[in-house]
Amino acid sequence: MSVELKQPTLKDFKGDTSTWCPGCGHFSVMAGLQRALVNLGIHPHEVITVTGIGCSSKISEYTRTYGFHTIHGRALPVAQGAKMAAPEMHVIAAGGDGDGYGIGAGHFVHAVRRNIDLTYLVMDNSIYGLTKGQTSPRSQHDFVSKTTIKGNKEYPLDALSIAIANGATFVAQAFSGDVKRMTEMIEKAIQHKGFSLVNIFSPCVTYNKVNTYDYYRDHLVTIDEPLSTREEAIRVLKEHGGNVQGILFVEERDDFQKQLGIDWKMRDIENGPMDEQMIRELEKEFM
Amino acid sequence: MASIRKLEWKVGGQQGEGIDSTGEIMTKTLFRYGYYVTTYKQFMSRIKGGHTNYKLRATEHPTRHAGDDVDILIALDEETLTVNRSELVPGAIVIMEGKDVNIAEVEDYILATFPLKAIATELGNPLAKNMIALGMTGALISLPVEEFYTFIEEQFAKKGKAVIDSNKAAVDKGYSLVQEHLKDHVKTLEAVPKNPDRLYISGNEATAFGSFMAGCRFLSAYPITPASEIMEWMSVHLPAVGGTIMQVEDEIAGITFAIGASFAGARAMTSTSGPGLSLKTEAFGLAALSETPIVIVDSQRAGPSTGLPTKHEQSDLYHMLFGTHGEIPRIVLYPSSIEDAFYVAAEAFNLAEMYQCPVFVALDLALSMNRTTTPRIDASRVVINRGKIVTPEEAQKYGEFIFKRYRFTEDGISPRALPGNPYGVHTTSSNEHGEDGYITEDPEIRTKIMQKRLGKIKTARLSRPYYVVDGDAPVMLVGVGSVRGVIEEVKARLAEEGIQVGGLFIQQLHPLPVEEIAPYLTDKTVITVENNYYGQLLNWLKIHFPIHASSHKITQYDGNPFKVGRVYHEVKELIQDVRRTQATHA
Repeated sequence: MSVELKQPTLKDFKGDTSTWCPGCGHFSVMAGLQRALVNLGIHPHEVITVTGIGCSSKISEYTRTYGFHTIHGRALPVAQGAKMAAPEMHVIAAGGDGDGYGIGAGHFVHAVRRNIDLTYLVMDNSIYGLTKGQTSPRSQHDFVSKTTIKGNKEYPLDALSIAIANGATFVAQAFSGDVKRMTEMIEKAIQHKGFSLVNIFSPCVTYNKVNTYDYYRDHLVTIDEPLSTREEAIRVLKEHGGNVQGILFVEERDDFQKQLGIDWKMRDIENGPMDEQMIRELEKEFM
Repeated sequence: MASIRKLEWKVGGQQGEGIDSTGEIMTKTLFRYGYYVTTYKQFMSRIKGGHTNYKLRATEHPTRHAGDDVDILIALDEETLTVNRSELVPGAIVIMEGKDVNIAEVEDYILATFPLKAIATELGNPLAKNMIALGMTGALISLPVEEFYTFIEEQFAKKGKAVIDSNKAAVDKGYSLVQEHLKDHVKTLEAVPKNPDRLYISGNEATAFGSFMAGCRFLSAYPITPASEIMEWMSVHLPAVGGTIMQVEDEIAGITFAIGASFAGARAMTSTSGPGLSLKTEAFGLAALSETPIVIVDSQRAGPSTGLPTKHEQSDLYHMLFGTHGEIPRIVLYPSSIEDAFYVAAEAFNLAEMYQCPVFVALDLALSMNRTTTPRIDASRVVINRGKIVTPEEAQKYGEFIFKRYRFTEDGISPRALPGNPYGVHTTSSNEHGEDGYITEDPEIRTKIMQKRLGKIKTARLSRPYYVVDGDAPVMLVGVGSVRGVIEEVKARLAEEGIQVGGLFIQQLHPLPVEEIAPYLTDKTVITVENNYYGQLLNWLKIHFPIHASSHKITQYDGNPFKVGRVYHEVKELIQDVRRTQATHA
């Protein structure tokens, strides 16, 4: 059936009513994502949004697309599987820093090197919010929380450097307090052919009293152009203690599905008898 | 010259000596000669070294068990003889690697040593010692040598004439060695009618083949014995039909990639064994609560933990029946033969989509890895049914801004809109949700949607949920998977003595077809035969039936499949016990 499609508007993307705390950074991330999709002329039914578990992962409930709110740490494998089956869809994976860099870290590094065409938004508040304030893999050294009462003795996971070193083809970092820049980065990430990572500083106003809006306004250094080499991008990150916003590194290369060169038809299975001719052909292998 | 109508043959040696391929050549040769073949491979969790063997049983009629005995043993080292001595029948012939040619009667068998490696080296191809042994086997059963030639030409076609000729020469040498030294022991394996309408296939291959034909286009998995062959087979065939396998980073990704692909509209599966199943467990609940179809194949091996990674067991039944926190709808299937593995796997995809839940296909190592003769595929037995997927027209009729993915319906199954459908946009969630998919903690909705979800699978039925033979017998032997082969043989042996027992082979464990199988389990002596400690099958039946007090389980969990003889003796004793008790009460 041919469908007459109007230009998408922000209203089309309105999902369930949010339960985030007033002032939560995630509101702006959601607004930025929806704005980016509208700007790109993408309709809700053309998008799959896969999330893990945590406050930020509720974005798939609050944004009206084909959403899949999965389990803790597994947004990336579910999202990659969905993209494999439906390459014509735009796939967004989203979640928090605990979801992506803690329980889901194993999937993160492999998604980076695999380079399936999807966009991964990590809403990084450096705290476990939904469980009411425990240290996360992105919490700073000496960060005091309910589980680190004498301060966190681990150092934060340098997710961006890991991604860049591991062959990522699009790495950006944004701040939900700078919606305009963030939206541009999300748009570019969606347009990028391959795995795109946007780590977004998204302050938790309830539990993280260190990494606040003011903290980022005071510390963030803006990069206007992607850096020319991976080494340079990692160096710049290190130089500023990770407090950088902008697209850090981009490389154009064939994504995973394109490299396989398969004429994808995974969804085309129809009701009816099995293909007898194909059975006879394949049986020869067993004769 | 004595004529024979069956052969039980075994080749053994160190891993890395080509035992597996030698066994395959012998088996496939007799398969093409017209015999029914069943096989069992014994191997260890290492690449080189350690005893390994390949058992072949060739019979005139179909069987599903590789047999207890050995008529001819090819021992490429002394350990092979030590390990397999107990299986030799009186008059068996053992051909063993040794320093000199020596033929001796030892106890009740013939021990013939030959310097196989040295002879092969003399022929110019030290690797061909196994081919010499195959030639000797052929000569001992008077198999026309051409039967081997055809196979060699096919097998080594890519390697060129020189390799073909040297292998033929090795086989010829085997024939002449028998003529020279073992002439008195030659028998004739009767020729039987050749039948081209048969397949020679393993359970893993049949499972992959069935999945493929049912339209499975995505398999994500992690390598694990004894399931890897499913992924390997699919990897060869999927690209041509627009699909692919993905070998992913871990077992959790194995199942969650497949759930993602299924959500997006593909028929998707994952395949694994026990340790992998444990890791995937949380995602059973994800598929179930989000009502996303998924097929999970568990080729069982001996657990727990790493256990005996290359050995046989049936100890994951509890895990498949109960695994994951909370309560979920699920369907658990277990093909009772290699032939059925094709159909059960194919139907698993229908059931997964029709009932929108995880479907488990249980296999066990003996069923998975060994090849046997089966009839050709009957294409008419499975018709693809994708369940309640709505088209854009159908979705549009609902006129909903948020499509009610979890709509309450009479049968509890909600229409499903696939991503891309302009009128079906919705969120699917692992959180408890209402009809619209949005999170809710409302007690009433929770209660209602739990009832919908858990109730919807009641009517799920495999087209052959069980097989029964002699269902009216007072004693029923019950088993799943490869154990069917054991029970069939035990039953036949008892029948020869006038003892009648029935056989029930359950292929659908959950939801158990309670009413259908009740007549075969109530007011009878039920004996389950199972490869685990607890008697998982018997206990599962006990939840559903008032199982008779005289019922019993025969278990084995040493890593090996049952021998027919052992089960036969135990069943016979149990029957006598029951009779004695009954006589006392009377």
